[in-house]
Amino acid sequence: MTNIDPEERALIRDGFKRLLSDQCGEDDVRRTMESDKGFDPRLWQAMGEMGIIGLLVDPDFGGIGAGPVEIEMIMEEAGSALLGGPLLSSAVIAASLILASDDDDTKARLLPQIASGEKIATAALTGEKGSWLPADVSVQAEKAGESWELSGTASFVTFANVADILLVAATTLDGLKCFEIETGAAGVVIEPLETWDPSLRLSRISFSGAKAAILKDVGPDAFDQALDVARVALAGEQAGAARRIFDITTEYIMSRVQFGRPVGGFQAIKHMAADLLIEVESATSAARAAARALADDAPDKKVLINLAAFACADAFSEVAATSIQMHGGIAFTWEHVAHLYLRRARANAQLFGSSDHYREQYVTALEKAA
Amino acid sequence: MSNDKNVRTEVSKWLAENWDPDTRRSKHGESLTEWLERVVDAGWAVPSWPKEWWGKSFDKDDASAVNSEFRKMRAPGSGQDRTNIPAVTVMNFGSDAVKRKVIRDFLTGRATQCLLYSEPGAGSDLAAIRARAERDGDKYIINGQKVWTSGAMKADYGLLIARTDWDVPKHSGISFFLIEMKQPGIDVRPINQITGDSHFNEVFLDNAIVPAENLVGEEGQGWKILQAALAVERLIMGQGAGERRQGSSKSNVVSLIDIARDTGKLQDPVARQEIAQAMAYRQLNALNMARAKSEMASGVSSPIMSLGKLAMSRILHEDARVMTKLLGAASMLDGESNARSADVNYRTANAYMTSIGGGTDQIQRNIIGERVLGLPRETEVDRNMPFRESMAIKG
Repeated sequence: MTNIDPEERALIRDGFKRLLSDQCGEDDVRRTMESDKGFDPRLWQAMGEMGIIGLLVDPDFGGIGAGPVEIEMIMEEAGSALLGGPLLSSAVIAASLILASDDDDTKARLLPQIASGEKIATAALTGEKGSWLPADVSVQAEKAGESWELSGTASFVTFANVADILLVAATTLDGLKCFEIETGAAGVVIEPLETWDPSLRLSRISFSGAKAAILKDVGPDAFDQALDVARVALAGEQAGAARRIFDITTEYIMSRVQFGRPVGGFQAIKHMAADLLIEVESATSAARAAARALADDAPDKKVLINLAAFACADAFSEVAATSIQMHGGIAFTWEHVAHLYLRRARANAQLFGSSDHYREQYVTALEKAA
Repeated sequence: MSNDKNVRTEVSKWLAENWDPDTRRSKHGESLTEWLERVVDAGWAVPSWPKEWWGKSFDKDDASAVNSEFRKMRAPGSGQDRTNIPAVTVMNFGSDAVKRKVIRDFLTGRATQCLLYSEPGAGSDLAAIRARAERDGDKYIINGQKVWTSGAMKADYGLLIARTDWDVPKHSGISFFLIEMKQPGIDVRPINQITGDSHFNEVFLDNAIVPAENLVGEEGQGWKILQAALAVERLIMGQGAGERRQGSSKSNVVSLIDIARDTGKLQDPVARQEIAQAMAYRQLNALNMARAKSEMASGVSSPIMSLGKLAMSRILHEDARVMTKLLGAASMLDGESNARSADVNYRTANAYMTSIGGGTDQIQRNIIGERVLGLPRETEVDRNMPFRESMAIKG
């Protein structure tokens, strides 16, 4: 990880923000979510050129070499703009998994293409329950000469529909390992799933004796470390998205007039807004504190990551849901943006496991710390 | 900021010479008051104030560096330019005569104060006060009743708001006074709280007297001065000063988990969810406050500080609710032989201190909505009429 100073960090943020305001407005979001693949290749290419996709990748392999603090920051902007596409899948989880490997040849082969955005990777770590728990992995790998063969099913795989490379968690006689395989390889069938959030694409993937290469030294710990980065990134996305829909809502309640005055003047609405502001600020604090703790490898990083995981998920869900109520009828229409935030919030709240799961992990981490 | 290091060195050197952090006492065998006098004379009590007024004319960063050195050594007396509400209020708005008379004693603790704000008819609507102050030559005569005054029995001075003009709208007719409490016209009676404590009093003012020089600010400016004083109080409450024991978040963490362990519920998945959420509220508030401080240090004004009190009241009520659930039937018990129950019962009742005292949660939400988010103000039917015509007095 390279040291990125605050000025450089601000430049990255501002550049990305400008790109999103040019190419990821509400119209673009809607066009992308209604498109076949659910992602915008032109925007993706621009993000690659800007270094956003390669943020976590070492400069040796064509990236920026930043860490959790910067990825959290970028994801706040992505969430705010409701950016859809494989940023989390390819730039965060897949890149982190490959970075965790000791195999420099593989890194040199895959990371530059991923960092530039030329190739898209995603991780198939979940089984039919979508639980992201090692015990629920239902792909098996068997040694076949020099290579391996995968069979079984992975599900809830994000943006496999646009991916070139799959990183697959599979059980072996030696425990959980990570395998690399191309999406077009023989024995791989990708079946897109219908999703409630049209900006999120999920697939079920069946493997039947598909030939794959093992990613050296990537086992359960590496999965967990990669997921920690992803949890922090997702928390940032949730914090940024919660703030944006909150801002949209406060702006609306100041201009919407009923009974001769703006509805934001009524306590019933004003008090909802005050309560939501606590949620928004708490989510931002939690996401940033978790990112900082992970970057510093702080002793309480597990406590803070678990806290951010449920606090940001719950805050975004609460803010998005309440925003529709505060808008009234206008937000019950498809054309209004509020439901897009609700869809994202509801999907994000399950993406890496439920809030209940992370609350449980949080207590466990606190018990250990006590 | 440029001086930060020098200031820290100077303060830590001074502390090393005068304060023993292990025994937490002065190295000169002094009483607390004598120690505070030493701190005041050295300029460390209020370093951001001008040199001629017990300060050192430091900027904000240097002043907070002083405070943080004191905290490191667990030495009392610093940071009063932020936290000593009476001293700050008199310093900012009082006449030179009254400043000279009282501030040093306020800073050393030789003189104690109480707040004479709320009245039976003026709680959330504090501007509806009816205590009257009438000018009579070089003094004011005060009549009325105040309530929720803590420390009134012992206090030497009271910060008092009273009405000096009944023919202007309610916010404009209020004046702010510093009143001497030990006088025949003042009668203090304790209030029995739902916690069993009596921290607060009713104060009856019957022809009590205030010298004219003790008018703080000008006649009619009282509301503005009060707002400044209340802002400081809310800030302090948001940092958890409303709690009985000033425990760190860590000590509270232990107690929720400890209670669960002792009651055999630590493995109960539902209880664990509730414990997690209660502890999360507390940790999130701490993270918010830390972020607000660092944002303010880097010059970004932060709205987060104003959320602290509302957040804290949820924390305290939630803690008490979860603890009660963990105790189960034992929460019906009380008294010294049921110490844990008694503690939880106390917390249950005392949580209202934060959710009502210093502005109810509902008033806090108005304040956040209006001052932070810029939403339209509450309509207030008597806002612009002469107070004499308000329903607050006409009934």
